[in-house]
Amino acid sequence: MINILIVLSTGILIGFLIVKRPKLHQLNNNLLSWAIYLLLFLLGISVGTNKEMIQNMGKIGYEAIAIAIASIAGSVFLSALLFKFLFKPDAK
Amino acid sequence: MRSSLIIFAFFVAGILAGRSGMLPAGFDFDKFGSIALFLLMFLAGVSIGSDKNSWKVLATHNYKIIWIPVAIVIGTLAGSALVVLIVPALTLRESLAVGAGFGYYSLSSVFITHLHSQSLGVVALLSNIFREVATLLATPILVRYFGNLAGIASGGATAMDTTLPVISKYSGKSYAIIAVFSGIFLTVLVPFLVTFILTFRIKG
Repeated sequence: MINILIVLSTGILIGFLIVKRPKLHQLNNNLLSWAIYLLLFLLGISVGTNKEMIQNMGKIGYEAIAIAIASIAGSVFLSALLFKFLFKPDAK
Repeated sequence: MRSSLIIFAFFVAGILAGRSGMLPAGFDFDKFGSIALFLLMFLAGVSIGSDKNSWKVLATHNYKIIWIPVAIVIGTLAGSALVVLIVPALTLRESLAVGAGFGYYSLSSVFITHLHSQSLGVVALLSNIFREVATLLATPILVRYFGNLAGIASGGATAMDTTLPVISKYSGKSYAIIAVFSGIFLTVLVPFLVTFILTFRIKG
C-alpha cells in the first residue's frame, strides 16, 4: 500500500505550492467533501449488498462502541496525568 | 456535527441503494472505489500541505504541547489494545487500526475497507463517529473531572474542527489553539498510522 502514501505525499507537496492560493483551498475542500461522500456511499452499497454484514450489524456496532469508549478512556486518562504534571503548574 | 450527519446519510443511502437490488449489474464497485480512494488521498494531502496553520502553531508554541497528541496516541492505542480482552473476535491489529482513526471516521473507514475488509471498515466508521459524538456530549463532564486537556484528548483528530467549539467553551479559549494543533497532528498521522498498523509484518 505504498502507492497510497506516495499519492498522499504528492498531495502534500502540491499543497505546499498552493499555500498562497485561498481559492484553490476552497475548491480542494469542496472536492474533498464530495470524494468522501462518494466513498461512503460506495461503502454503503457494499454493505447493503452483503447479507452477512447486515445480519452482523449488532456485533459490528458492539465492537465499534467498545473501541470508541476504550480509546476515549485511554487518551483522557493520559491527558489527565499530563495536565496534572506538565500543564497545571503553569496555570495562573 | 452537521458534516457527520451528511456523511452518515450518504452511507445509509448507499446501504438502501444496495438493498434495493436496482443497481446495474456488472459495475465494478471495488475498482471504482480504489480509484476514488486515490483521489481522496491526493485531495487530503493537498489540504494538509496547503494549511499553513499546521506548520506555524508548533513554532509559536512551547515545545511541550507536542506531548499532548503523543499522549493521545499512546492512550488511544493502549485502550484499543485492551478491547481484545473483552471482544475476542477482534485481533489486536484490527482493534488498533480502528482506534488509530482518532475520530477521523471518513478517512480511516475508507482506508481500512481497502487495506483490510469491509466489515472492519464499517466498525471504523461507526466507532469513530461515536468518538466524535461522545466527545460533543461528554466534554463538559470530562473537563470537570480530568482537567482541561480531557476534551482535546477525547476529540482526537476532531479537536481541530467539529469538536473545537465545545472544547473551547469548556476548557477555555486558550486551549482552543492547543486543540487545533493536536487535532492537526492526529489528522495528519491517521493515514500513515492506519496503513502501518494494517500492513507491517514482523520478520521471522
